[in-house]
Amino acid sequence: MLRTGRRMGTARWNAALMAGVTSLALVLAGCSGSGPGDKQSSGGSTQTSGVTITVALASDPPPKAALAAFTKDTGITVNWVNIDWDSLQSKISAAATAKTYFADATNVDWSRVGQLGKLKWFYPMDTYIDTKAMEADVPQLASFTVDGHVVGVPYDASFMVTTVNTELFQKAGANPAPKTMDEYTEALKTIKAKGVLEHPLNIPFAAAEGLSTYWYETTGAFGGTVLDKDGKPQFTSPDSPGYKAAQWMVDALKTGLVPPGNINVTDSQGQQNLMAKGQVASTFSDYSGNVGTLYNIKASSSVVGKVKYLPTPGASGPAANLSNPDGVGIPKEAKYPNAAAKFIEWFTATEQQADFAGVNGPEKTFATYPIPSHLSAVQQMVAKGNLVGGKDLEPMLKGSKPVFEGGAPSWYPKFSNAVYTNLHAAATGSMSVEQAIKTIGDTANQLASGS
Amino acid sequence: MKRRTGARGFGVAAILIWSLVPIYWAIKTSLQTEADARAKPAHYLPTNATLDNYATLLTGDSDVPAQIRQSAVNIVVECGAATIVTVLLATLAGYAFARMRFRGRNVLFYAVLATMAFPAYTTLIPLYRIMSTFGLVNTYTGIVLVYVSGFLPLATWILHNYFASLPVGIEEAGLVDGARRLQVLWHLLLPLARPGIISTALITFLFAWGQFLFPLVLSSDLSTQPLTVVIASLQGRHVVPSTLLNAAGVLAIIVPALLALAFNRYIVNGLLAGSTK
Repeated sequence: MLRTGRRMGTARWNAALMAGVTSLALVLAGCSGSGPGDKQSSGGSTQTSGVTITVALASDPPPKAALAAFTKDTGITVNWVNIDWDSLQSKISAAATAKTYFADATNVDWSRVGQLGKLKWFYPMDTYIDTKAMEADVPQLASFTVDGHVVGVPYDASFMVTTVNTELFQKAGANPAPKTMDEYTEALKTIKAKGVLEHPLNIPFAAAEGLSTYWYETTGAFGGTVLDKDGKPQFTSPDSPGYKAAQWMVDALKTGLVPPGNINVTDSQGQQNLMAKGQVASTFSDYSGNVGTLYNIKASSSVVGKVKYLPTPGASGPAANLSNPDGVGIPKEAKYPNAAAKFIEWFTATEQQADFAGVNGPEKTFATYPIPSHLSAVQQMVAKGNLVGGKDLEPMLKGSKPVFEGGAPSWYPKFSNAVYTNLHAAATGSMSVEQAIKTIGDTANQLASGS
Repeated sequence: MKRRTGARGFGVAAILIWSLVPIYWAIKTSLQTEADARAKPAHYLPTNATLDNYATLLTGDSDVPAQIRQSAVNIVVECGAATIVTVLLATLAGYAFARMRFRGRNVLFYAVLATMAFPAYTTLIPLYRIMSTFGLVNTYTGIVLVYVSGFLPLATWILHNYFASLPVGIEEAGLVDGARRLQVLWHLLLPLARPGIISTALITFLFAWGQFLFPLVLSSDLSTQPLTVVIASLQGRHVVPSTLLNAAGVLAIIVPALLALAFNRYIVNGLLAGSTK
């Protein structure tokens, strides 16, 4: 009995320990926070040779030969990680919040510049690269500057453009080069009326970022802007361009210019599945470079050679194109910030961009690279005939302007969320355009006032 | 009575359509060529059905099929390992909580259960820091440990209920015959608890398979990224045909779907364990 009792006692203690350790691990996992003793990577190494850096971007890697040449020149090996844009933003936020390393160089999207600048999650690029010298040749650098510091360097010159399938426009006898919004709308109505396409216009009404940017571009076309320099809404009055743009978009869906199924279509789905397949005739707010990288690629398109860029129709003539470029910056938790800066300098240099864009032969071409951020590289492309629609795009790039005059506000993600959820709701009919605009305006006012 | 049956039938049909049509559409698209999938008007049945997309994914040597295959291996390794570790620990913890008497047993047990009330995402950042501190980011070990910490409370609870429902007499007979606790557990209780263990393993595996945000944050490249993360990353790329993307999606759901269909009884029993006396 004694032996049994002792054994039972020991077993009881072991069981308690076993259950305790398990429970403690679980509770700790649930409750652990940041403590002063936590080991974090910060500061990083200044080493610029013999190191491997991780570059995480929402893009396929550049040609292997180009990266090998960079390694040979600098001694820096690049581990390229391709993550889709949305997932990448989650990773950037998680890593920065946890003060944990995940990449040495990564995406800085134009829409997050204000937020990233305020949170100081990235090193100011002007401490590593002579960004002043770039200003004249990189018009979109302004979109990456906050409080006088450059958060990221644009590596492409993405801006919003209007694309038209000229064959479908001509088939309907519609004007394939409308200059004003009225002419453009009339051309779309003609395509529908003539039965060439039942739904000629692509607007991605899914509640996602692409719907917000579409509205900004349309607002620009109607001759206005969404927010002023102080972040105050400029779209609440019915005769304001922003209001008219929202009304025009929702009306286009209700009158059947836009396919009804677009209520759940995102920007990339609309471009890939509708525009690239000839199922719509135009995308008013498309991405620059899509003609060369999507619509003219046989594997992904059935409209090769038929889609052209159109100077964005405006209220009374062509309007400015709003820029939404992708930048690359150095997170504060980078292991090798100096090496990352060298990479960024190389990756965004004029000569490199010209190579990527196919100016110097197909073996140096970066297949999915859209348009260089350096004007001089674009000019080289145009001169050599490498840029599809280059003659149209070059002046658009020169005249492109940031979506927000004062740069994207730090509260932009919340604002954008209000924009796309309410415009989506207006499109589904669960609220009127007036209600949607009022809600978006109230959100902007609230955010701008800091409450 | 007739009206009630009719309403129930309508409700069941509506739920089935809502749940199954997207899956059917994915399977249908995966069996078509890109041109057929894009045809207008849409074909509701797969015309010229082909397995080419699956063949491409399983044997193709280009970038996308290679990524899908590697991530399929990753998800099997991660979910399999997480399931084994979770079931092992949950069996011991569940047994201890159900059968042994020690100070603080109830407090510990409810503390374990209480962790289920935390929204999983609140633990993401702390776990990321812990994994980073121990150099476990982008490793199988790190992802498996996080899965285990996430699924262990539910597994422990299910097995606790299972062990608690077994007759105490069997165990006492074993102890009287001189068997030690672990011997009793191994030789007498585990065979009886096998349905509970199977259902716990299935539930853990299925939950782990569906994970996205945690492996997204905790993995940095293809060496550890599971299928769910890799498929999402292909979605925004212009060059990946939608038929191939759908085939990848079908591959991702086929394993959990087969498991759920084959072992439906165990899963339901596991979730209901302890709900009746």
